[in-house]
Amino acid sequence: MKNIMDNIKRLKDQGRKVIGCFPLYPPLELFHSMGLAPVTLWGLRDSLPRVAESDRHIQPYACSVARRLMEFLLKENSSALDGLFMYNACDTLRNLPEIIDCGLADAGRPPLPIFKMHIPAVPPDQTDSRPYLRASIEGLIGELEKTCNVTFAPDKFRRSVSLYREMRELSKMLFASVADGSMSYGEFSRIVTEGWFIPVEDQLLVLQSALRDNFRKKTKPSPESPRVVVSGILPPPLPMIRDLENAGITVVGNDVASQNRALHYSPPAVDDPAEYYIDFYHHHYPCTTLLHSADRRLPAIRKLVSDTGARGVVFVGEKFCEYEYFEFPYLEQILKEMGIRALLLDISLDDDENTAAYTTRIETFAELMHSTV
Amino acid sequence: MANENTAKSGHQKTAAGRRLSKIMFNDYMNLHQKAGEGAFVVWMAIVVPAELFSGFENVVYGVPESHAAMSAGKGVGPLQCEKAEKMGYSMDLCSYARIDLGTAFDGGKDSPTMGLPKPHLIVSNNNNCSLLVKWFDIYHRTWGVPHFILDVPFCYEPQNARDLDYIVTQYRDLIRTIENLSGQTFNIERVREALENTRDALANWKRFLKTAASRPAGLTAFDSFVQMAPYLTSRGTKTLADHYRLLAEEAEDNIAKGIYPVPNERYRLLWDNIAPWHQLSRMSSRLASLDVNLISASYTYCIGTVEGELDLFAYDGGDPLVYLARMQNSSICPHGMSLRFRAMRRAIEDWGVDGVIFASNRSCKVYSIMQMDMLKRVTNELGIPAVMIDVDHADMRKYSEEQSFTRIEALLEVIDARRKEAKLS
Ligand code: SF4
Ligand code: SF4
Repeated sequence: MKNIMDNIKRLKDQGRKVIGCFPLYPPLELFHSMGLAPVTLWGLRDSLPRVAESDRHIQPYACSVARRLMEFLLKENSSALDGLFMYNACDTLRNLPEIIDCGLADAGRPPLPIFKMHIPAVPPDQTDSRPYLRASIEGLIGELEKTCNVTFAPDKFRRSVSLYREMRELSKMLFASVADGSMSYGEFSRIVTEGWFIPVEDQLLVLQSALRDNFRKKTKPSPESPRVVVSGILPPPLPMIRDLENAGITVVGNDVASQNRALHYSPPAVDDPAEYYIDFYHHHYPCTTLLHSADRRLPAIRKLVSDTGARGVVFVGEKFCEYEYFEFPYLEQILKEMGIRALLLDISLDDDENTAAYTTRIETFAELMHSTV
Repeated sequence: MANENTAKSGHQKTAAGRRLSKIMFNDYMNLHQKAGEGAFVVWMAIVVPAELFSGFENVVYGVPESHAAMSAGKGVGPLQCEKAEKMGYSMDLCSYARIDLGTAFDGGKDSPTMGLPKPHLIVSNNNNCSLLVKWFDIYHRTWGVPHFILDVPFCYEPQNARDLDYIVTQYRDLIRTIENLSGQTFNIERVREALENTRDALANWKRFLKTAASRPAGLTAFDSFVQMAPYLTSRGTKTLADHYRLLAEEAEDNIAKGIYPVPNERYRLLWDNIAPWHQLSRMSSRLASLDVNLISASYTYCIGTVEGELDLFAYDGGDPLVYLARMQNSSICPHGMSLRFRAMRRAIEDWGVDGVIFASNRSCKVYSIMQMDMLKRVTNELGIPAVMIDVDHADMRKYSEEQSFTRIEALLEVIDARRKEAKLS
């Protein structure tokens, strides 16, 4: 938590207006180009073990992402933000803006401006949602200009697009270092997670430096090491990553929303933000939370598994996330048909402190994989 | 509603109840029969505007959520849920979805209606909830049936023109999709006729619900739960319009004759969440024995209204697609907290509610995740006591009667204490 808050404070000290964004795929380039500092409010897991404040507003059967987000905002931290942005996501999150208002009011704090946007959920071959999305993006720009006293400029937008594109490319290169054994998955996870809370310019410096270090120590993973794809909304918690590494598992493929789905695709730079985001959302790496991408999801998983030569998939299940849990049985079946082992690890808020159960399951999974590599 | 002989039981079969059974039986028979004869079969989410299908000569529709509710009411909810769980579907997923998956992948076995005939098209709608899209995707992937997603922006405030146009565009695409897949031609005039029936039906539905204002109330929320069923399976028909007219007349007539479902009504409560389908009979009897009447429920008073209102939003004879798009913002789940609160305040004030039961339902996050603050607002802003109990609407394994009633009884004590205080002052 301290790191996150220090980073946000640093941005404030530089005179930047900070916009907290959720859920997974906000229009970061747009905020950045308008001089705002977007921070994506995920990756709070390792910094917020308890959610006492949130528990006064949200039932415990909401996922930990939503509960931690609420906790973060209610723990004085909202005063460090100048606004929130959210788009339609799951059934839990869509209720959050008004709960946040209530929570802040209860705590005697001023309300935060919340910018909301609806990202079309229709497949492009069903309905042409481009005019709708265009109007939404233009509406958002208008609202930001009015509320935050900033202006949109096409040249600045192009520049921001280039920076984020570079960040995404470097992040993918960094993951390649994990897959080839020259970097630990834990280290990669840490760097990417911290990246959500620092300006993209700083993120680029961190990524460049990490890549330079990896280049020097390039090694190959042992051929006997079980190769897996990791999938989920959030990366595995740190103790679970340690378990994977201790069990000798190499993460060769990544389908984690914050580590791959969010980074996979950058459209070419254009002056028109609406055109950019139409492209961005239509061609986004398929995600369980992007309903229009459902038909592309299974082929993408199949391809990821075959391209990486993985022999197993570890699903990091965010407990109570229906988007993910409706897909697991089906994915498991597909993988089985491909001769790929699957391991589903449910992670709820309480499990973070109770890691013994999944340690054993990871060890068993690794043994089974060892026996088949 | 009850007659004198059945008073105190809270929830008994009346003439309207018997007619309801007949309508539901006919609806399912008709669906299976027409499907067998080659009709084009659609599976749809409850908030898909079924009147659109009347625009086609031979399109029939099944409603998985409604079928799941009926299954839960008939006591087979857990059995079907377990089948889905054995296939790997988590127990934390919505129980309607689990009942439906369990039923569908077991070929309709153990269903009170032999399940639903296999669809040619599935139409989901993300404004009631988004998980429904994922649930329907399973059939799309497994059976290769086309899946049309109606994408309706959530309403924190009344619908804006941009959202309305977007929805109308999707209706046009849906119509085109059905035309292409079924080879049938769409006729908007037939939809107009259906909407006139819907308008009459809803006007009488509202009339029926308003009998809650009488003291004792002319209905229980349990009556409204069971009577909403044909709104999901017979929308746009004359049968539904006639049924709801008779239902309203029966309720008013009973009041005129002094016949009440809970004659010794001392506590008038409001229910917030989906009906506890597996408990209708038990819960209504036990509440009635405590002289409690659940006189209203957010789940049923939202039908026929839009965005935080209680009054009917009636079809005015204009463009059917525009009206239907506007009506996407009816039903409670797509409403943000302010809108829900506004409607609840009116229900409490207009119908004289003494207390509110918030049924926290882990199956339905979209309904439930906001209830903690709703409860505070009801208590603090309206001065009405309220409790929260845990109830899964269709999976009785996740319900504890004793725990729930302990809390409900505590609520009654608070109401009593307040009454005493009021008398003293
Ligand atoms: S993890 Fe799933 S349920 Fe939780 S906020 Fe994200 S999409 Fe919603
Ligand atoms: S989650 Fe709620 S709204 Fe969605 S299908 Fe289940 S009961 Fe209905």
